[in-house]
Amino acid sequence: MVKRKLGALEKVEADLPNLQHKIRRDPKSYVEDFRAQHYQYESHREIFMAAPTSATDTGVISLRDLIDFISHVADCYPDILKDFPQQLIDLLMQHHLVLEPELREKIVGSLVLLKKKDCMDSATLLHTLFPILISTPSKTLRALLFQKILSELRTANARTTNHKLNRTMQTVLFNLVTSDRRSSKALWAIKLTRELWKRQIWTDAKTVEIMKEASLSENEKVTAGGVRFFLGGDREREEMEDEDSDDDVDVGRIRHQLGINKKTKKKARVAEKAVAMHKKKEKKKNQPHPLNFSALHLLHDPQGFADSLFTKHLKTSKINRHNREQKLLVLQLVSRLVGLHKLHIMSLYSWFQKYLVPKEENVTSFLASLAQATHDLVPPDVLEPLIQKIANEFVSEASAGEIASAGLNAIREICVRQPLAMNETLLQDLVMYKKSKDKGVMMASKGLLSLYRNVGADMLKKRDRGKEASMSLRAGDREQRRFGQQESGGIEGIELLEKWKEEERRKKRAENGLDPDAEGDEDDEDADWDAWNVEDDEDSDDSGGWINVESDGEIDFSDSEDEGKDRPSKKAKQDAENKEKDASEEAKISSLATTRILTPADLAKLAELRAQAAVDSALPKSRRGQVGDRHVDDGLTAEEIEGLAALSKGKLTREERIAHAREGKTDRAEHKSKEARRKERKEEQGKSTTNKEKARRKNFLMTLGKARSKNKRSLVETRAVLKAHHDRAKRGGKRGNLGN
Amino acid sequence: MGSSAKRKKEKQKDFQKPKLKVGKAKAKPENFTDTSFRSKAITLNQQSLHIAAPTSNSQFTHFLSLLSSKSDSQRRDSLAHLTTSIASRPVNSPLPQPVSVILPGLLPLILDANNNVRIQLLKLLRTLPRNDIEDHVGQLLPYVRAGMTHLAADIRVSAVEILSWMVEAAGENVVSSAGGWVKTMNCFLSVLGWHTEESSRWSSNRASFGKSGSQGKPMVKVLGALAEFLDAGIGQPSGSGGDSSDHDEQSSSPFPLHQMGHHMITESSAPYAYLNLFGQPRDEEGEMYETREDRYRVFSTRFLPAIDRGLKSAREEGGELGRASSGVSKVLKEALAYGPGP
Repeated sequence: MVKRKLGALEKVEADLPNLQHKIRRDPKSYVEDFRAQHYQYESHREIFMAAPTSATDTGVISLRDLIDFISHVADCYPDILKDFPQQLIDLLMQHHLVLEPELREKIVGSLVLLKKKDCMDSATLLHTLFPILISTPSKTLRALLFQKILSELRTANARTTNHKLNRTMQTVLFNLVTSDRRSSKALWAIKLTRELWKRQIWTDAKTVEIMKEASLSENEKVTAGGVRFFLGGDREREEMEDEDSDDDVDVGRIRHQLGINKKTKKKARVAEKAVAMHKKKEKKKNQPHPLNFSALHLLHDPQGFADSLFTKHLKTSKINRHNREQKLLVLQLVSRLVGLHKLHIMSLYSWFQKYLVPKEENVTSFLASLAQATHDLVPPDVLEPLIQKIANEFVSEASAGEIASAGLNAIREICVRQPLAMNETLLQDLVMYKKSKDKGVMMASKGLLSLYRNVGADMLKKRDRGKEASMSLRAGDREQRRFGQQESGGIEGIELLEKWKEEERRKKRAENGLDPDAEGDEDDEDADWDAWNVEDDEDSDDSGGWINVESDGEIDFSDSEDEGKDRPSKKAKQDAENKEKDASEEAKISSLATTRILTPADLAKLAELRAQAAVDSALPKSRRGQVGDRHVDDGLTAEEIEGLAALSKGKLTREERIAHAREGKTDRAEHKSKEARRKERKEEQGKSTTNKEKARRKNFLMTLGKARSKNKRSLVETRAVLKAHHDRAKRGGKRGNLGN
Repeated sequence: MGSSAKRKKEKQKDFQKPKLKVGKAKAKPENFTDTSFRSKAITLNQQSLHIAAPTSNSQFTHFLSLLSSKSDSQRRDSLAHLTTSIASRPVNSPLPQPVSVILPGLLPLILDANNNVRIQLLKLLRTLPRNDIEDHVGQLLPYVRAGMTHLAADIRVSAVEILSWMVEAAGENVVSSAGGWVKTMNCFLSVLGWHTEESSRWSSNRASFGKSGSQGKPMVKVLGALAEFLDAGIGQPSGSGGDSSDHDEQSSSPFPLHQMGHHMITESSAPYAYLNLFGQPRDEEGEMYETREDRYRVFSTRFLPAIDRGLKSAREEGGELGRASSGVSKVLKEALAYGPGP
């Protein structure tokens, strides 16, 4: 190695780090030395201020070193350094354009350090750094500042939410976005807000308000940033959460290793830390999940927002600065808002008219957006021409299979949301395509058919109605919903909860040796009731935080005349076997939700069941055929409109088929034998091979001697060896099983 | 799982012991830098050789530019050359370059790490004409103050030497420039370690941080400089004839002119500097204290107790230090006797 060059400071043996170290140990004794260095800093600052541009660090000690030194010991002499932070702030604010990069970065770092030492408050720090962030032309400084600001906000919110700071910062960002609508500076506000949203530091309506203003900006980049936030911010947040929970340590393994390996203090400490971390994580897991609303739900005035988005960015085509992709994004957001909040933007539908031609680029996205923007409060006569147009443009024998199936899918998606938009002749026309030779078209058409069997069977031809629908039509118990008619309210997933409760009850009864299906008498029922209470208590223990709530079992609200009967839920269940299904469903809704108060434990279970159901429906098998069971929060994508268009392309190639099969499976590197994979895993964990493996790998020459000697053994020797082997095998190895 | 397994494998790789083999060269470490190459020197075919020797003026500028050289000896030599060329110029002829051009190069050298350079610098400064220095005191002082509080004792001492030269050359300007009085006094106190009661006690650790200089007797030099500085700042105005001359002027001027001197534009180069029209706003320490009265007021409120205390302990120490301190006490006594002013 080359000998290190001796710095000038080392020659004079007076280095600041050394002094810093001594001051930190004993501030009082070194006050004079510190004072001298402070004067030194003052003079250097004076020199610098006299000519900020031409300042060159020719001396032994540069201003940078002095600033570093002073900020490191700032907490020791608060009275001497009263205005030191202010001086640094002034220096940075006034001269950040001409400061040399290293000094500039040092000042930023020192300011953060001073904040950490409580020599200044975080509001001042942020008020200093943020204006520089948006005004400096230097890329490195911007990166540094952004990182510092972000970490400052994170630390400020680490323990408890620092509402005051958040509010001031949000106001600053809001003003930045709204003050100059044309400038791209608002990008920084977006970047910062999105990052903080992702980390769940900011989750309130004010944050969303900033993004809302950003998406209404006149700068296309800013607009795109804001819109992207609304479309993807929540997904990003969830992914971040998953990531956080991903990297946990295996406590069991660490404990095991501690038992085996050499015991050192360090290892014990590591294990302790791991256990503590694990406990903390468990605790966090058990805490009630913070209720995070998605950004779309936190909007104050969705109607106004969607209206202005539409008029500003989409409708006025004369001064449209946005390219196609950005336009599509905005459209997606608008339609999402309309669908989610059931808004009314009548001109939106007529605007769609001109984009609904197969030649249009990304037409499936337009179709998806149209379907998304449909809800049951849109007047059917607005949608009818659109559906007519889609049918005319896309669905014909002459058009390609993919196009026809995309059109049919789009029509189906629209009609799922507003079944009244379809007229009889068109529907019967479209249903005819179920005989199409093209598989994609056929499937799409069948999808439409099955939808209308449910929602409007009388519009179909008699032979298309199917058995169930025609039977219920004849019985007259199925009536078509009228425009604006609302379904009587229910709780999503309540039937799942009830089913689960029922199963639990049956299990309980089976355990007690009773017939699970039989209805117990009143006493039995009471006992069961008690058991349920206990069970609920256990449940609430699981969910944490509700332990101290006494008797949080269900409270029976049934009146005295109901006493004699079984509980309504059970009755309903019993009836369900006899009656028709839809009737029982109605009864179910009325039963559980209206007869008792759902405890927090119940609600937790409900959420769990709902999530489970969602996961189930995500599986490819049960996915097919389901049309309307999508969660309202999820947007509709172009892929869904394209649907099974792949089917109409003809046969897949082998590679495509393999890729398709792979899709559903977890990622696996390559095909290997089980043995090979096991060996790999062992190697990864740093474990050794088995004896068998060792024997097999042993060098041939080493084995030669033994093999040769074996040949020369006498008969007696051979016998002895064999006998010993036999005995050993019987005993169970060299050490043997101690029992026998 | 897949990614984490990969990560584990990568981690494992770091801790694998490299296999050493007999008869094979040891594997190079990862951060090995190959230094075996040789750079080839570039020879210029056409060098700028002139027949005529460079003029003394161009040589002067050349050496001036060498002041910021990396090598110590080069800096020292160029300083020496500048000194001789200034000293040996014909009497009453102007400098090869004006002081305002020379000085920016010299200023950083006050804080130079090399002793010889600083000694040579002082020599050069002494050769500069005094009335030119007067206008540049404001530029010099921050560097001198930085030097006085430097961690290295040698630099402190030479800075004090430069200050005493400045006081000698332009005493009035030094004490009345912006920040010249209070800040410099502060520096003196911190060099002497007299700031607080605690630190000036004999039992406190006087040996300041950093290597004590090789020049010896730093305190004596500092005390001497302090005496000069105090004398310039609050000493009795030299030749109290100032008053009388005023009277003379008053009497000598023709009748309608009354106190004419006060109404004339002053002869100093920056007569309105105290207005501070273009600089940073000044605080109390950085303020200009132009009259002896102001300086005395500030001195008696802020520094007198500390200096009294320090002098007392220095006298008690005796020896050379005590003798030097008596010089300061003498100046102080005279100043106090003179009081806040006439």
